[in-house]
Amino acid sequence: MVETGPDISTALGALKLSAPTLMGSGCYGSGEEYAPFVDLSRIGGVVLKSVTKLPRLGNDTPRLVPVASGLLNAIGLQNPGIESYLAHDVAKFADRPCAVVGSVAGFSIEDFAFVTERLAARDEIDAIEINISCPNVAHEGETFACDPALAAGATRAARAVTKKPLIVKLSPNVTDIAEIARRVEAAGADALAVINTVRGMSIDVDRAAPKLGNVTGGLSGAAIRPIAVLAVWEVARAVRIPILGQGGIETARDALEFILAGASAVSIGTGNFTDPRAPIAVVDGIRAYLSSRKMATLREIVGAANPGFLGYKPHSA
Amino acid sequence: MNLWEVLLARRPLVKFSWGFAVNLGKNASMPALERLPAVHEAVVSDRREPVADIVIIGIAAADLARNVRPGQFVMVVPPGGGTVSTALGVYEAEGDRLSLMLVVVGPRTRELAALEPGARVTLLGPLGNGFDLGTLGDDVALVAGGVGVAPMLLPARDLRARGARVKLYYGARTASALVDADLFTALGCDVAFSTDDGSRGYHGYVTDVLEREGASHSAIAACGPSPMLRSVGRVARSLDIRAQLSLEETFACGVGACWGCVVPLDRASAQAPHFPQPPPGERRDYVHARICKEGPVFWAHELRW
Repeated sequence: MVETGPDISTALGALKLSAPTLMGSGCYGSGEEYAPFVDLSRIGGVVLKSVTKLPRLGNDTPRLVPVASGLLNAIGLQNPGIESYLAHDVAKFADRPCAVVGSVAGFSIEDFAFVTERLAARDEIDAIEINISCPNVAHEGETFACDPALAAGATRAARAVTKKPLIVKLSPNVTDIAEIARRVEAAGADALAVINTVRGMSIDVDRAAPKLGNVTGGLSGAAIRPIAVLAVWEVARAVRIPILGQGGIETARDALEFILAGASAVSIGTGNFTDPRAPIAVVDGIRAYLSSRKMATLREIVGAANPGFLGYKPHSA
Repeated sequence: MNLWEVLLARRPLVKFSWGFAVNLGKNASMPALERLPAVHEAVVSDRREPVADIVIIGIAAADLARNVRPGQFVMVVPPGGGTVSTALGVYEAEGDRLSLMLVVVGPRTRELAALEPGARVTLLGPLGNGFDLGTLGDDVALVAGGVGVAPMLLPARDLRARGARVKLYYGARTASALVDADLFTALGCDVAFSTDDGSRGYHGYVTDVLEREGASHSAIAACGPSPMLRSVGRVARSLDIRAQLSLEETFACGVGACWGCVVPLDRASAQAPHFPQPPPGERRDYVHARICKEGPVFWAHELRW
């Protein structure tokens, strides 16, 4: 589709995006699920569901609890494992008319290296997101995102096995996200995804028991947006690599908060569930915002509200 | 890549219906194409509240009404905004109108129950697999608990249209919550009522009636709360009858993207998602299937819940 008006293309390192919107990992399947509802060529790209070295059945149910202004989830990285994924799933991604970002999760440094190397070797995959911040696996899932040395170690291990753009997804459940960001940047990340879900839980008062099968979960949706905007703001003052902002984005104005704080692109996750046309509205709204201010490129507003922004600006296409 | 290349590269957007090809000369108003699910902007055409807090919303949505299969559902986008849509099985579907039955249980259903004729509503659908009516034989037990009766009406209609005997086992908390049974009797279905408080029909669970009276059925189709469906599964096993169960769950996406609504399903089921081998150390014989995508209708004997 030919788009007119301001140039909203952007980049996360060498990953070029026709629009500054990705669909968040775990929220969009492989894109196929939403193809009947949305012209995928109009969104920037899809971040696939995380894959691990070995198959995972995922957590027991219930896995979802709607809460005020958000959604608690504890899926538990259900996936068929990298071998089956490569054999049965990846080939289907070749025809996606948008960027396809693979997502890798793991429980050891070796896991991240093993899965990243195998997934990144496939032509269907344009870039890799390293998910060091899943809060919903029993042990060591989020440990990597919460320990600067381990975060850097996972990043370095993945960096060593691929030249494709590497996006490392950070957790908000840390004391100093800027310090983690700096360490991950130094370890060779091309971009940072900020943020994953915020840990939370909900208790069924009638049963006097936790509602989630996994007991604890990750909170997403509008409830976490201010947390996410602050995290982007702080990370944008700490690193020079581009930021993929995410957390509770539902509208173009939500997305613009992240971009003005310093994000070069945004991810939409939970915000897409109620209306699959949301990402198109976000893209159109960002373009309209630039038009109304007589701006020619997205670049002009990245970090514009953040006086401490260290200065990464996406290439204009 | 131009638009046509994009379209052709994906799975087809429309599927040709041979049923229509046969009918071409007889009824030119039949829909020519079976559509994939879509976003539908629709308008509420009518509203009925047969008893307090059980509401039937009629919706003018021609594409949906003509293409929905018995047992499929729609996601209703919260009219006032919100994080989670509400999944509802389609109740009636005739001409350009379909209807949804809902019981008010919380803020989301309260908002939908307040929709008045003329209100705009956004629906995603039709979604899910629906009942496989062709495998149910010619003497079918439909088992409904509460508003689980909603997705049983279209199966009753289609089963009766092909000449099958149909008996509805209809249970609820109390007599007033047994709504619209006359729509089933009008189709020629037998109806057996049960209530938790004994205010109408059998005093006790609907599955007790099924167990006592259901031995001669060729198959069972059921929808209701999970405890009732588990019980239907047990009764079906004891009667040696196969049962299709339409499961309830909170969906986030409704289209198979988020894996939030799973149920343990026998690894050998035709509906089981591809999963290569049990994870190391796992001796379990099931996989997690998505209720919204592989279901919501599953064979009772294949569930491992």
